[in-house]
Amino acid sequence: MAVRNIVTYPNQILKTPCQVVEQIDDWVRQLVDDLVDTMHAGPGSVGVASPQIGVSLRVCVIDVSKNRHGKDNNHGLLLMINPEILARSGAAVMREGCMSVPDYTGDVERSTELTLRFTEPDGTVREFEASGFEAVAIQHELDHLDGLLFLDRIASLKTGLFRRKSYK
Amino acid sequence: MNLCRKPNLAHFAVTIIGKDRTGIVADASEVLYRLGCNVEDSSCTMLGGEFAMILIVSHEKPFSKKQLEAEFAAKNANTGLSAFIRTLKEDEVCYRGPEGELCLISVYGSDKSGIVYRVTRELADRGVSIADLNTKLIGTPEEPVYVLVLEAALPTGMAVEDVTNLLEKLKKELSVEISVRLITPVSL
Repeated sequence: MAVRNIVTYPNQILKTPCQVVEQIDDWVRQLVDDLVDTMHAGPGSVGVASPQIGVSLRVCVIDVSKNRHGKDNNHGLLLMINPEILARSGAAVMREGCMSVPDYTGDVERSTELTLRFTEPDGTVREFEASGFEAVAIQHELDHLDGLLFLDRIASLKTGLFRRKSYK
Repeated sequence: MNLCRKPNLAHFAVTIIGKDRTGIVADASEVLYRLGCNVEDSSCTMLGGEFAMILIVSHEKPFSKKQLEAEFAAKNANTGLSAFIRTLKEDEVCYRGPEGELCLISVYGSDKSGIVYRVTRELADRGVSIADLNTKLIGTPEEPVYVLVLEAALPTGMAVEDVTNLLEKLKKELSVEISVRLITPVSL
């Protein structure tokens, strides 16, 4: 077990799309364990993606079950290797922060329902539907695997209502 | 970033406002850039036909506010912009952000005087701290509608429902709609 240091921007690994995991071996399973330990060590953290601990592979972990937004609607601890979003719908805005971008938060629009497929560390392929806050967390972590930060998706300045003169 | 990590810097609050046109931000930031100032924090927006800039800028000590004022006076002489500069003391630069819940409060209804005052007084008396606030007069000249949107940090222990209840009587008294929702950032 190991809590790893969180990589912060401007480290370029955060802006680099991650490699697909070709083979799940002990090294990858250790990576998953380290991600879980690192997530549990972060205050209020509900997910960590590999590039956040300096590894450019498509692996991330998520657990929103202890968060107030996710406690009533979640799939518990998710250990995701090569996750893919198969379908998405709905939209909602939430103010997000990220351990890799300290001291800044921003409003981001995310899909509210997802169909997801990923491989677990024991090789099982899982497919399920996620919604609400769990869906938001999944999209945030999967963005990390594509080299995207929430800063790339800020939906609006604080009060878009006042700046919009037309609704095109 | 908490600015007090930079003890070698002098900090200034700069306010610039003038009739809106293309290039105000470029002109103002050019003055700052040429002087070697850093823009540490800023908020700039259109207000009516004016463009307003509020900035916290820093420069390596020694640096005086006179140098800033002189440069802005020269730059703004023909542009109609006005600039106001204040030196920030150490205790203004170092700060702790609020720790309670963050909520967004929207208030709207037929225009009448006292909406901003009554709402913000009610919040201030309960220790609610406003972090951001915008107002706008919309609707038609015959039926003007006032919109107030603010972000507020609640004191520790206060919940969004407490704010809703707190503003309930104002809603009736001022005949306005008031809604409160939680926007505390989620850490991902």
